[in-house]
Amino acid sequence: MLIEKDMKLADVLHHDHNLIPVISRFGIKLGFGENTIEEICAAQQLDSDFLLTILNTFHDPLFFADRHLKSFPVGLLISYLKETHKNYLNERLPYIALLINRLTETSSDHKTAYQLLMNFFVEYKKELTKHIEREEKVVYPYVLQLEVAIASGTTSDALLQQVNTYSITDYEEEHENVEEKLFDLKNIILKYLPPTTDQNLCFTILHELFILEKDLNEHARIEDTILVPKVEEMERIINKRA
Amino acid sequence: MAKTIKIVLIEQAFLLAAGIESLVSELHGVFVEQVYHGSEHSLTDKVLGHKPDMIIINPHAIENQLLSVIKTFQQEPDIKLVGLLSTKAPDNIKSRFAYYLNRDEGKFDLLEGLKKIIGNDLEKPAKKTRILSNREIELLKQVCLGHTNQEIADKLFLSVHTVMTHRKNITKKLGIKTVSGLTVYALMNNLVDIREVENRG
Ligand SMILES: [Fe+2]
Ligand SMILES: [Fe+2]
Repeated sequence: MLIEKDMKLADVLHHDHNLIPVISRFGIKLGFGENTIEEICAAQQLDSDFLLTILNTFHDPLFFADRHLKSFPVGLLISYLKETHKNYLNERLPYIALLINRLTETSSDHKTAYQLLMNFFVEYKKELTKHIEREEKVVYPYVLQLEVAIASGTTSDALLQQVNTYSITDYEEEHENVEEKLFDLKNIILKYLPPTTDQNLCFTILHELFILEKDLNEHARIEDTILVPKVEEMERIINKRA
Repeated sequence: MAKTIKIVLIEQAFLLAAGIESLVSELHGVFVEQVYHGSEHSLTDKVLGHKPDMIIINPHAIENQLLSVIKTFQQEPDIKLVGLLSTKAPDNIKSRFAYYLNRDEGKFDLLEGLKKIIGNDLEKPAKKTRILSNREIELLKQVCLGHTNQEIADKLFLSVHTVMTHRKNITKKLGIKTVSGLTVYALMNNLVDIREVENRG
C-alpha cells in the first residue's frame, strides 16, 4: 500500500503497526483522532513530505527511497536518524536488557546459561552503542560540513584534507557486524536456551529482538543507500572544485 | 541437489511478473532473482549470467526472437525452461518448452505445477546435519578459546583451508555466525570451561 498525505494516520497504523516507532520518533503523540497525516504534520510543524517518505520506506522495501529522500536536506535526514539512535539507546536496548535480566533472576535452574545470554547481549549493546557514537561524532558532522561547504561555495583546508583521508567504505561493513550479533542472539534463544519456567518472558524478548532487527535494518538501509551515496557525491563535487 | 532454486523471469507485463513473484515466494528456497522485459540488449547473455536453475518465459515478451532465444537456452542442459502460457496457446508454442505453467489456473494449481517442475531439485533440510561431528566440536572449542585459523590448523594438523571449511559448516549447522555467539553456545553445552574462555588472550 502506498501511504499518502490524505490518509488518516490511524488507518495507516492499523494497516502496518511496524510504523508506530517511526511516528513516535517524529514526536507524534497518540490520540490523533481522525486526523490525516497532512493535518497532523501541519499542526505540529513537521515536513509532511519527509514523514511520508520515511513511512513508505519503512513500509515497503521496494519503495524507491533513494530517489525520494535525496531531495531533502541532509540535516533533516540526520536529525531523524539521531532520533532513532536515541530511541535505541534510551528505550529499546535498556528494555531488552531489563527483560533478559529478569530471566536470570526468576529462574532457579540454568542460571549460568541465562547469565551467558546476558553477557552476550551486553557485548552486543556495547558494539551497537560504539557504532552509533561514531556516527554521531564523526560521520554525521562530516556530512553536515560537506553540505555547508557546498552551499557556501567555500571549503576550508581542514575539510578538504578530511575529504582526502576519510573513507566511508568501512561504514557498511560495520553495519554487517552489528547485524550478525543480533542474528546470533535470536538463534541462541530460539534454538539453544535451556527450558525455562517463564516461556512468556522468552517470547517477549524474542519479539522485542525481531522488532529491533527490522528497525535497525531499515535504519542501516537509509544510511547505506542514501547517506553514503550522498557523501560520495558531495566529495566528488568538492574535489572537483579544489 | 541445490539448496535454493534461482529463477530468472522474462515477462514484460508488470502484473504478470508481480503475480509470478508472489507465487514463487510461497515456496521455501525458491526465488526470482531477476525479471527481464524481453527487449533488453543481449538478453540471453544477461539471463545466463545469473546462472539460473530455471527460466520462465512469456513468449509474448520476446515475440519474433522466441525461437533463437529458446535455442540458446536449450544448450544449457541444467536449466529448466518453462513457458508461461495461456490455455489458448497453440500447440506449436507449447511444444517448444520442456515445461509450462498455465497462467489461467488458480493459485494452488499453479503452485502444484511449479512444484512438479522443481521435482527433486531442491535439497530438503536434512535433520541429522544439525549435530556437530567430533572434529567440529574440537574445532569449535579452539575457536572459543580465541585461537586464529592458523593456530588451530597447526594444533590440529589441518590446513587453514580445512579449518575454514569446518568453521563454515559449524556456522551453517548452528545458525551462529560470530565468535562470541559460538562461545555462548559452547559454554551453554559445556563444551568449554568458562575459566578457559576467560583466560584467553
Ligand atoms: Fe545509525
Ligand atoms: Fe549505522
